[in-house]
Amino acid sequence: MNIAPRYLGRGSWLARRDPRVLILVVVFFIFTVLQVWDARLVLLLLGLAVLYYWTGDIPWKDLRRNWTIVFVFIGLLVLVNLIISGGATADVRLADAHVFFYLPILGTPVSAESLSLAATLFLRYMAMATIGFPVAFCVAPNDFGIAFRRLGVPEKFAFGLDLTFRFLPSLAADFQTTVDAQRIRGFDWSAGARGLLGKVRRSGPVIVPTVVNAIAGAEDTIDAMDLRAFGTGKRSWLRKLEYDRTDWLVLLFFGGLLALTTIVGFMSSVLELWIPQFLIDLASR
Amino acid sequence: MATMNFERSTLWEVNSRTIVYAAIGAALYGILLVAQVPIPGTTVSVRPAFALVPFFGYAFGPVVGFFTGLVGNAIGDQISGWGLLTSWNWSIANGLVGLIAGLAPLFLARWVNGNLRDRAIGGAVAGAIAVVIGFLFTFTDLIIQSGNTVGGVTTFYFTVIVADLIATIILVPILVYAWEPVKAQLGR
Repeated sequence: MNIAPRYLGRGSWLARRDPRVLILVVVFFIFTVLQVWDARLVLLLLGLAVLYYWTGDIPWKDLRRNWTIVFVFIGLLVLVNLIISGGATADVRLADAHVFFYLPILGTPVSAESLSLAATLFLRYMAMATIGFPVAFCVAPNDFGIAFRRLGVPEKFAFGLDLTFRFLPSLAADFQTTVDAQRIRGFDWSAGARGLLGKVRRSGPVIVPTVVNAIAGAEDTIDAMDLRAFGTGKRSWLRKLEYDRTDWLVLLFFGGLLALTTIVGFMSSVLELWIPQFLIDLASR
Repeated sequence: MATMNFERSTLWEVNSRTIVYAAIGAALYGILLVAQVPIPGTTVSVRPAFALVPFFGYAFGPVVGFFTGLVGNAIGDQISGWGLLTSWNWSIANGLVGLIAGLAPLFLARWVNGNLRDRAIGGAVAGAIAVVIGFLFTFTDLIIQSGNTVGGVTTFYFTVIVADLIATIILVPILVYAWEPVKAQLGR
């Protein structure tokens, strides 16, 4: 069972960046996208996100399943909102909306406005997911602790994050051992249970020993940390992080984009929801 | 730091034990998220691993609970490829569940300080309260994704809390029953 995060973008242009850059770019970009409601501009931002993603050299074949999940999840989210919005948007009441048709059974109206909103939402989510993927695949897992520390997270918590990543392989192996041990005793947790509650209860004999064993085994780590006087002074990190010129340029670009979007959003209405004229014409027929 | 029987003064203490338990909780939560039981007729799954968030909070305090939920959910997202920060507000909501469960000694003192049966019931009750309150933070989707409707966010809130309540109410008492004798054996 391979549970550890996969460092698929190793050696790529993005992976050579300081890990803080990848984290900050996600923050800058998400707050940029959140201010834009014009689907044409969101499409441009999605293009930028795809370009950024492409520099991570993440093999497509390894992520086919992930992208399928993203499409299904985002699609479902947008669909639920489309149905619940009932043809209206935050700025356009149903009475003023251009209704196409009513959904069978539910009777929910679908209008040019709600369709435009759904399409924009879909593009926004896609842009945010696309920019988020490189954090998952282009940052070495052992760099997260130091990266968050240098971003201002308290030392003990940054170390906790580092420790979490270090525990992943051994705890995943313990989990697999528990699953195998239970199978040898004739207990297969993934089969044989009836009903939802039965299935959840059946996970107990696998989850409980894994958890209790892990907590009981933590004593060695705690002793080792105490013996090294953990938390009594300033901690040093083996890995040193330094921004190079390219890192600064990338940060400047995405930070500038956020600043520009914020200023434009305050000064004009160009970022507001765009409803294509052809949709309104189609609904008016 | 003793587990389960907290003094108010030690509730927010952060030492090596807190950090290690928090890291173990987060790693286990991230790993065990692979196990999911789909609810028939929906796209929602019950995640048995979710019970670890209220359990770690209840057993080891609010700091451990918060870290387990926050980092564990982010690690789960990272492992699945969704990205550590993409759903940051959902990770915070998970963290709040652990934190609120960890505050059980303040609002469920009678159960927390009772016998083993009481403590197990207290774990389920604290977990259930924590799930209902903690996931209210996901309503920030209304601000973050201002195109979302109240109805849309509410639908997701209810489906998620129903699924997580099932895992919490069934598994937290089992975990408390399993952990308490081991804790006594370890002399804590």
